[in-house]
Amino acid sequence: MAAINFGYTISKPRAIDLDRNNLRKSDEILHEMPELQTCIGCGACTAVCTAGNLTDFNFRRTHTLVRRGEYEGIYAEMNKCMLCGKCRLVCPRGINTRAVVMLVKRKLGDF
Amino acid sequence: MTFYAPFCLPFILGAALMFIIVAWKWILWLLRLPRSDKRLILRGLFTHRTLGAAWEVVRESLLHRRIFRVNPLLGYMHMSLAFGWFLLIVMGWIETISYVGFRWVPLQGHVFFKYFATSLPHKPFFDFAMDLLLLFVLSGVALAWGKRLYSRAMGMRRTTKHVLGDRIALSALWFIFPARLVAESTTCALYGGGGFLTGSIGGWMGAHIGVLPLMNLETVAWWFYSSCLGLFFVALPFSRYMHIFTEIPLIFLRHYRLRSTEKHSSYDHFQIEACSRCGICIDPCQLQSVLGINDVQSVYFLRDRRYGMLTRPVADNCLMCGRCEEKCPVGIDLNTLRLNSRDRMRNVPDERRYTYLRGVDRSSGEGKVGYFAGCMTLLTPRTLSAMSTIFEAAGEEVWWADREGGVCCGRPLKLSGETDSARKMMRYNTELFRKHGITTLVTSCPICLKVFREDYDLPGIEVLHHSEYILRLIRAGRLSPTHGTTRYTYHDPCELGRGSGIYDEPRAVIEAVGELLEPASTRENALCCGSSVANLAISDGQQLQIARSVAAEMEATGAEVIVTACPLCKKAIGRGTRRPVVDLSEIVAASLK
Amino acid sequence: MKKRVIVIGGGIAGMQTALRLAEQGVEPVLIEKEPELGGKLRGWHVLFPSFTPAQEVLTELRRRVNDSGIECRMSAEVCSVSPREVVLSGGERLACDAVVLASGFTLFDASIKEEYGYGIYDNVVTSADLERMFNEGRVAKADGSAPRRIAFLHCVGSRDEKVCQQHCSKVCCVTGVKQAIEMKRLFPESDVFNFYMDIRMFGPGYEEMYREAQQTYNIHFVRGRISEASPTLEGRVQIKAEDTLTGRPLRMSVDMLVLLIGMRANDDNEQLARGAGLERARSGFMKPRDLFLGNVCSNIGGIFYAGTISAPKNIGESLNEATAAADAAARYVMQ
Repeated sequence: MAAINFGYTISKPRAIDLDRNNLRKSDEILHEMPELQTCIGCGACTAVCTAGNLTDFNFRRTHTLVRRGEYEGIYAEMNKCMLCGKCRLVCPRGINTRAVVMLVKRKLGDF
Repeated sequence: MTFYAPFCLPFILGAALMFIIVAWKWILWLLRLPRSDKRLILRGLFTHRTLGAAWEVVRESLLHRRIFRVNPLLGYMHMSLAFGWFLLIVMGWIETISYVGFRWVPLQGHVFFKYFATSLPHKPFFDFAMDLLLLFVLSGVALAWGKRLYSRAMGMRRTTKHVLGDRIALSALWFIFPARLVAESTTCALYGGGGFLTGSIGGWMGAHIGVLPLMNLETVAWWFYSSCLGLFFVALPFSRYMHIFTEIPLIFLRHYRLRSTEKHSSYDHFQIEACSRCGICIDPCQLQSVLGINDVQSVYFLRDRRYGMLTRPVADNCLMCGRCEEKCPVGIDLNTLRLNSRDRMRNVPDERRYTYLRGVDRSSGEGKVGYFAGCMTLLTPRTLSAMSTIFEAAGEEVWWADREGGVCCGRPLKLSGETDSARKMMRYNTELFRKHGITTLVTSCPICLKVFREDYDLPGIEVLHHSEYILRLIRAGRLSPTHGTTRYTYHDPCELGRGSGIYDEPRAVIEAVGELLEPASTRENALCCGSSVANLAISDGQQLQIARSVAAEMEATGAEVIVTACPLCKKAIGRGTRRPVVDLSEIVAASLK
Repeated sequence: MKKRVIVIGGGIAGMQTALRLAEQGVEPVLIEKEPELGGKLRGWHVLFPSFTPAQEVLTELRRRVNDSGIECRMSAEVCSVSPREVVLSGGERLACDAVVLASGFTLFDASIKEEYGYGIYDNVVTSADLERMFNEGRVAKADGSAPRRIAFLHCVGSRDEKVCQQHCSKVCCVTGVKQAIEMKRLFPESDVFNFYMDIRMFGPGYEEMYREAQQTYNIHFVRGRISEASPTLEGRVQIKAEDTLTGRPLRMSVDMLVLLIGMRANDDNEQLARGAGLERARSGFMKPRDLFLGNVCSNIGGIFYAGTISAPKNIGESLNEATAAADAAARYVMQ
């Protein structure tokens, strides 16, 4: 089902340029939550996601983009999350996924 | 007769300052109450509620009945200080009146009456009564000193770590009554009189100390006594002792049905400053007892919030299990205050949020009974299939709200502080329930249950937890489970037990299918599984640690199967034990043959 | 008089240890809790990557044990060990000069991962169940029909904090590929999907087998962890995952869902370790003295480890380690 498009999208056709991207915010986020770095990208969070069941919200991809310094549109994406906590219950790495959503929103609120 | 001496000055200044500040605070808080709250006060003022409140003030602010229930010695300590001091003041007034008749006497005249009354004939009754009351209070002071050294004797493993201001006020308080004893005794030594306490000590002093040193000592002692009082009064409005003058209006307001809500209001001040930092909330906290986290408990949360230094990590680190609230002697609504702090930190109203909910309907089936599994229950399919078996056995036509995935009930988001956005989910689900014309809404998730009951407006729809629903079916003869020999133990989910007051129904259901063994901490004292969605801070490993400690207590009952009635508790406790952890519905479904 | 070494566990590692000890002139005693030797291998059909029948290996090892006249105590459970004595649960005390622990591992109980529906829905089976079906010569759905679409899920009970199993069980990846090929051989018309997080092909011939599975057998590999399984009206199993390589949620119905269950440390490791003062790793498996020069030694002199008691291993590794443990134990008792 199509989500409301707010004029930006998280899948851009361009390469992720780690020479240009500013990783400061990403570093701050990882500094506060080092466990986010342990994600092995299994996608279980995204597969169970209550919001992902109704929209194109993809938690795994969204937080991975943040870690690559791609911040545009992230706040709006994370706002689709209902914070229900199913993802935390399935994460094989034991990442506090709800806290990740809140932290990312707090850090990228001005984007 | 003049009732003034230079040493009274610290007391007069301190008392005046205190009364001004306390009055200022009261007036400000009352004026800033929302209009609806003011209306509630006016409506309740001239009813029996005022009397009820007054009686509660006697019981709690003076006698400290609720602390007696925590530990009798601790209760006595608080009572002797509060009630003892109160009686000392009242008896002091009566004493003054009996000596000088009904005439105006300045405040210091009552307080330092012994000093001014040396020329009057002695009344042995008052000498005796005042000494007895002083002894009463002193015994409390002695216990307070003892509690610092060995708190376990009063049933407290840990006591509050105090800030500097509290320490100053506390020290002043500790010295007030010993200082009074010395001051009155020296006066008795010089002028005679006094009861069994001050009189005897005075007599001994008169016999052993010369008149000149005694006169000097008398001046110093009365100055010291007055200074202690003055210092305490000045510190009072800014320290934890503000609770003395806050708990009283709080009790009245509570009787007038004022409540804290998810949004901050002026009423919160009465709750926050009514906290005496007694620290009774520390011991029940599993973050403390299992994880050794020592700075987030309600006492510290309220302190930080009161002084405007509340940080996000403190506000976020709470299971909101309600164990401390259950024990709080002041009855402060700790969870709601924590919640509206989070609201202030995190709530960002956003009209565009969750617009994707529009038009969504993934429900299936048809019936007057609606079943809302809840997000977490979708990860415990045994509960789902057990409920399906039960509905079928009872011949119930069911509308399945979210079996194919639904919209979250909104409580997790609310608990995180995003209260406005949570309302959008609540509105969505409310419309969904109404649209399908159900009359009963059954849920397996206590988190959903609590929000349905408290925040949803569902006229004509009865909201039931599946434990209540199953019990009804059994009692109505629509389900006939067979009674087996399995021994079960039951874990009370926080949101179901303390949160919604449902303790008996799940137990009755278990007893219908087998034997029930209670764990050491049960019902109101039940432990939290540790995976509460209300805690936004602790890590997976810490959740596991708590789960293991809970599982150990459940295993200690000797039961073969651990039963709970919440998908989250089930998942959490299951990590901490090798014994089977099952939902209530599973044992019922298995017993239907 | 001959020195005596007690070998606890009569699986492949235990048997090989006992054989090697006998070769070295030491008297081994094998203690096995089941009524027959062979351990977990008894339940296996063919072995990766060569598809050698497990029976072949097992029969040969048993024959050798039989021929060498090694004392075997069957149906005997151990309750505590020390370098000089093993106490059986019946209370019997066996004196010895050293002990080799070869009591292996426990298979992860898939019903703990409730969301996969094992034990709730028909046609959700574990890799061990599938091996049993292969051995019984009857691989079918619960209703007896042939499966047309089969999904394998890797890492069930491995690399999963939620079930307190942080470690990788090492052999499930290759087992999954092997079983996928076997299914494809049995049901050439079927579609087989493997859902994985990472594929770890660490042994000789494994990578080749993986490639063969993809190229020759047209087995599909989807990178994503299945999050939930639910029944469909037609009696199939619907699974949900994220296809992480496309970044989109994926759902499909299958006739059979095979859970590749991992290896878990035995529950009684804790009791044995506590009694003898042995160190355990966080995973619950026994911790060797060091991982290089003392990998078959425990932290207690006179107690040695062979096979999966200390970590998940494949059969070749277990057999090699058994030989090394026997040598170390023999050297210890000869001193």
